Amino acid sequence: MTRRNLTLTLLAAFSAAVTTCAWAISVAGTQMTVRLDGDYLRIALPHLDFLQGKALSRLKDGASVAFIGQVTITTSQNSLTPVARSVARFALSYDIWEERFSITKIGQNFDARRSVSHLSEQSAQSWCIDNLTLGRSQLPADKEFWVQLDLRTEDPRDQTGVVGDPGISITRLIEIFSRPARDEKSRWISSSGPFRLADLKRLDVRGPRG
Amino acid sequence: MPFLLRVGLPGLSVALTLFFGAPLFADQELLRAAAENNVNQRYRIESVSFAGIDIEEDSTLPSNIRNRLNGLVGQNCDVAALESLSGEIRHELHYRTVSQHLSKGSAPDLVRVNFEVERRDLAFDVSLPKFLYHSQQGPTGEVDASARFKNNSLAFGLVSNGDDLVERFSGITARFESAAFGPEIGAGQTRLGITFEDYHEKWNSQTVTQAADAGLELYRSRWNVAPEFTFAVARPVTVSFGASFEHMESETPGIADRYANAATLDIRAGRKIEGNRIQQQLDWKYSLRVATHMLGSSYAYARHLITAKYEARSGRHTISSEFIAGSIAGNAPSFDRFVLGSSSTLRGWDRYDIDPVGGSRVVHNEIAYSYRVREGSVEGFYDAGALWHSDGGNLDRTAKLRHSLGIGYKQGIFVLTMAFPVGDGRIEPVFMAGMNY
Repeated sequence: MTRRNLTLTLLAAFSAAVTTCAWAISVAGTQMTVRLDGDYLRIALPHLDFLQGKALSRLKDGASVAFIGQVTITTSQNSLTPVARSVARFALSYDIWEERFSITKIGQNFDARRSVSHLSEQSAQSWCIDNLTLGRSQLPADKEFWVQLDLRTEDPRDQTGVVGDPGISITRLIEIFSRPARDEKSRWISSSGPFRLADLKRLDVRGPRG
Repeated sequence: MPFLLRVGLPGLSVALTLFFGAPLFADQELLRAAAENNVNQRYRIESVSFAGIDIEEDSTLPSNIRNRLNGLVGQNCDVAALESLSGEIRHELHYRTVSQHLSKGSAPDLVRVNFEVERRDLAFDVSLPKFLYHSQQGPTGEVDASARFKNNSLAFGLVSNGDDLVERFSGITARFESAAFGPEIGAGQTRLGITFEDYHEKWNSQTVTQAADAGLELYRSRWNVAPEFTFAVARPVTVSFGASFEHMESETPGIADRYANAATLDIRAGRKIEGNRIQQQLDWKYSLRVATHMLGSSYAYARHLITAKYEARSGRHTISSEFIAGSIAGNAPSFDRFVLGSSSTLRGWDRYDIDPVGGSRVVHNEIAYSYRVREGSVEGFYDAGALWHSDGGNLDRTAKLRHSLGIGYKQGIFVLTMAFPVGDGRIEPVFMAGMNY
């Protein structure tokens, strides 16, 4: 194999890997919209469907499922250093009798908790996204910026069996490192931009604090 | 832990997790909060089944687990408690996974709970059950490889221990254990085990000097075979009896090998008192080891050791006290002598300053107070103890009460401790970091 062929082969393999990874974790075909709601930046992803697969079946079995969402602001599209960040944690459950969803947004202290119940599947997802807010003062005033949403489920499998009374199980650690870092159906990433603060659409009605 | 630390730096996250005993990848605090906020907790549990079989009809379940599952009926559906119970069942019965599933009951305020299980008949595990770093003694640790088939387990271990005895012993262990669930008389659980150990010893220079003065025989290696049978007399009382055939190769060339063959007995009991505001736990243990010439032993002695532990919890506060008292009648080899100044007794003291060859009488008490902070607890403790010889000895060691103070942080099985000897004329703290110590 010539050096050129080897280079082409490596490039093809790299491209395939990047394409596969991007497909696995991005939200295909979903357009994120960004707006200002009083002093807060809010996002919307009308067609995002993160209540699916194993998380949904666990909910319908009566278990709780936790989601962590993060909104980051960067001043360039591929920047790894955000200028602002907001993290929210949600606890979802499904009422076995009423067949409706209930959500609690977990805050740093008990007073910061907010709960809502009797939601449909779509309303529950929208409520979570709508409660991922960022303070307006954290946004760059005179620069273009990009907004990225990173949403994932917290997998209870991770906490079972590695550290316990019998010590650290090296076998369980090997099992965890051997499997894919995250199930592709348990993480959703979407980004949009560039935006300018002055150009963002404003809403007249102020929502609750983010 | 910040979001990006866990997502972007998994290696560091694992290292921090292993060190602090905090969530391994998963945010346990969030998972617990999610379970505590489950909307189904307003319903009452109508019935409980295990692997689809009603627990009343499932004769394969151990009685203690069946009783706990039965106790759920009529209670509110506390999902956090159900998840905790699933974890305990998985651990106790060695299932791969146990998960609870809720379904509608016969009336609108009732739910049915089914614990679904994924079995594993043959399980293999490599684990690090114990580790300790002591700033004076160095590291102590153990790595085990175990295989389990139904109720039988076989484990091999690599050990290096500089904490439990006056000497550091390093080597291998092997243990076969077979457990069986007997008839419903008492707790009904019996267990048969056999342990093999093969260690090489490393002696401290002070021990070598003192042993020569006292005429004690040191050994450079030893191996031990110890069969043991355990059964539950009644629910809180467990009795183990067996034998120990210990062979020692002398440190001094030309001196014949020696044996310490003994009959062994352990009696354990525990009691938990669940109050509205205070939960109390009392555990005690008595151990007896009798070596006699009739068993071919070179040594003849009887070693008694009593341990009693009391703990009371109320909210974030916990107080505990652990008392030990031991006595040896006769001439015991070094590995059976008592030691103070370890990771759990007279913390902060150098064991070789107390007694470099170990004692034949010991009394020790630890009093600790801890306050829970998030996932862990901050602890302050006071140790007091005395180690001496029954006859005063030709080395003129008499009983002297010693004290030490310390603080620590504990999270799960992980412990970080700093301790000071009191009245030793020095302020030199001893640091200990480890797990399951």
